[in-house]
Amino acid sequence: MFPSKKPSMNSHERPICVQGDSGLVLTTDPKPRLRWTVELHDRFVDAVTQLGGPDKATPKTIMRVMGVKGLTLYHLKSHLQKFRLGKQPHKEFSDHTKDDISFQLYIYIYILHLKSCSRNVQITEALRMQMEVQRRLHEQLEVQKHLQMRIEAQGKYMQSILEKACQTLAGENAAAASSGCYKPGLMMEVAGAMKDIGSPVTFPSLQDLHLFNNDHLDHLHDGFFPCTSETLCLGPKKRPNPYSSPNGKSPMIWADEELPEEASKSPVNGGLDIESMTREVYEAKPMLSGDSAARRAQVPAPEMMSPMIRGGVLNQARNLSYG
Amino acid sequence: MEVFMDDAAALQISYSFSAASHADVHSLASFFGDDQDEFYCDHLRNVESSSAISASSYSSPPPAEYQWPAVAGDENLRLIHLLMAAAEALTGGQKGRELARVILVRLGELVVPAASAASGATSIERLVAHFIGALQGIVDGAGRGQIHRGFPSDEALQAFQLAQDMLPDDKLGHFTANQSILEAAAGERRIHVVDYDIKEGLQWSSLMQAMVSRKDGAPPPSLRITAVSGGRSAGKGRWSSETIQVTGQRLMEFAESIGQPLTFGYCRLDRRQMFRPATIRVVKGEALFFNSALLQPEFHQRTTASVRSFLTGAAELGARLVTVIKEERASGSAVIVGEENEGFVRRFTEQLQRYSAKMEALEAEFPKQGRAREMVERLILAPSVRVALSTAYCEREEPEESLEWMPAAGFRPVELSFFNLCQARLLLGLFNQGYRVEEDAPNKITLSWKSRRLLSASVWSPPAVAPANS
Repeated sequence: MFPSKKPSMNSHERPICVQGDSGLVLTTDPKPRLRWTVELHDRFVDAVTQLGGPDKATPKTIMRVMGVKGLTLYHLKSHLQKFRLGKQPHKEFSDHTKDDISFQLYIYIYILHLKSCSRNVQITEALRMQMEVQRRLHEQLEVQKHLQMRIEAQGKYMQSILEKACQTLAGENAAAASSGCYKPGLMMEVAGAMKDIGSPVTFPSLQDLHLFNNDHLDHLHDGFFPCTSETLCLGPKKRPNPYSSPNGKSPMIWADEELPEEASKSPVNGGLDIESMTREVYEAKPMLSGDSAARRAQVPAPEMMSPMIRGGVLNQARNLSYG
Repeated sequence: MEVFMDDAAALQISYSFSAASHADVHSLASFFGDDQDEFYCDHLRNVESSSAISASSYSSPPPAEYQWPAVAGDENLRLIHLLMAAAEALTGGQKGRELARVILVRLGELVVPAASAASGATSIERLVAHFIGALQGIVDGAGRGQIHRGFPSDEALQAFQLAQDMLPDDKLGHFTANQSILEAAAGERRIHVVDYDIKEGLQWSSLMQAMVSRKDGAPPPSLRITAVSGGRSAGKGRWSSETIQVTGQRLMEFAESIGQPLTFGYCRLDRRQMFRPATIRVVKGEALFFNSALLQPEFHQRTTASVRSFLTGAAELGARLVTVIKEERASGSAVIVGEENEGFVRRFTEQLQRYSAKMEALEAEFPKQGRAREMVERLILAPSVRVALSTAYCEREEPEESLEWMPAAGFRPVELSFFNLCQARLLLGLFNQGYRVEEDAPNKITLSWKSRRLLSASVWSPPAVAPANS
């Protein structure tokens, strides 16, 4: 269902991973990246739960709760945002938007209708309905992914505005250059404010997008580079320098912070991998949506479908699940 | 100016506390001296009685879910009442201005100055402080002259960045408009977008990114963006051609960094800020799109006529789509203050509600980030309020707020796709639960905070125009 479009990357070209003593898995390619392993993600999810859910938790508090050495706010911020974004389809289905209610009704009525049909028709109809559900889920998945990219684009552009401003001001006010545009006091505070925000829309990371396994992501992986808002990480054609201010200064706000690189998830090999990886990451998590969304879609009459279909569908749905 | 007002008797035009009203009127009036006594008495009485009329609406609970920010006892309520009184006073001609001045001074004493907001002024105090500033500007006659000049300060830019992260408004509008454009431009190789108020160009960064990664193959080889710049009187503000050129430069660099070819240009409005189609260079085979993001207006731009001329110009030039992002008035705004009471007071109240809704939203989402919120309130929201009130005060005519004229003029609604709606909901899901997006019409979504409408994005296709003889 998810054919790999990246034949060039397979397991033996994956960068070697080492396990740090804090349990963090770092790769040894030229740019050490953080890998969100199953355990790490579990701890993350536990921490988030403890803190009252993804809407209440902030990167700072998560970091404290997790207490993992070497894990920085940046890692957490992007991971959190991914997490939040991915949690939604769960809400989508439970929102009473007319779309979804009528869709669920539609499913239900269909099931009722099935009861009166012959077995063959039942199977066909059931399959068709399942495809409908999957189509929906898939569409939503698409939207989510694109939304992510669009948010990032604006973030990146925003950064360029700030950088430009810095240069413009510095250029214009040679006399006032002492104040310049780099005011550590103000910016540290703002930086502090921004860190605290754990903003929903900054610093997204593509690192978990292995779950999506889609063409777009594959070619995003091409040029993929740590994807924090101050880096230029978009576009398949370029391998940009993340700190590209012409005068070599690092981007204003984060000047004092070390700028970590986000993990680049090793690209997907094929549908099976997706499924197993997905399952690994999300299987036992009751609050995550993937399975429950699939389950809910089937809820009307699970007993009506043959075990074969149901099993197949569950697997399919899990492929789509994105937490 | 020394002002002495006994607190207890201070303009208790307090609807729900109706203490001695006449006593107050007189004690205040006596301050101003005998010769002016009568005028002030009358005025205050008028204000008082009209507020009595509106008492029911003003003191009645606001619409269902929307609450005024937490009112801690009488003080906050009194602040608001004083503010309202000042606003009303401003409609009373020269003498009214004097009265307003007095009230504002008194208010200033009661409220911790906004500048020290970091020291923990309450939200009501900050809200009031900003409105005091706005009214003060009007009283001082700075109204028309208050055009933002030059490049925004770096602090303002940072506040802008914070605002982008903390408020969904801009993003929702941009993404919705962009998605409709993308869909309508699917498969096109030459695309031309004309933008009424390009501001920093943020909207187009994500459009370009989306084009680069669009499904049907390569990004369009030809993308043109034309920004509309104000007529000569636009001065040095955001609408000046200098500022716009800087923005264009930035957009082109960004475009290059993601591999999207982009040509940028700008056109000018005429002296009366009207759009003239002849200023747009039309290229055959181009898919043309007109975008008008009417949020955060700058002073004296965006008269109703100007916007209309832009949108009808779109029709003349054969644009595929017209996207409109604009502020929405609160639905069923409960405050109606006397018939003759002009637009100004109504718009003042509107702004008060809007601003407090945004503050509330910010606080709900980022309860601990007081400093960031304060920056956004001070540098992004408050200036917007100042502009709105200055405009409201100086121009008696009310800008046309609704787009109802469009269907009559032949614009047809273009339905928002499932993708678009889904995107809107997902985006909001990243923000506080209090936000809501509703599909008012097949071609329009509205963002609300609780029950208070904030902005809407709608998509139209312009009426076909008989081909010109060319």
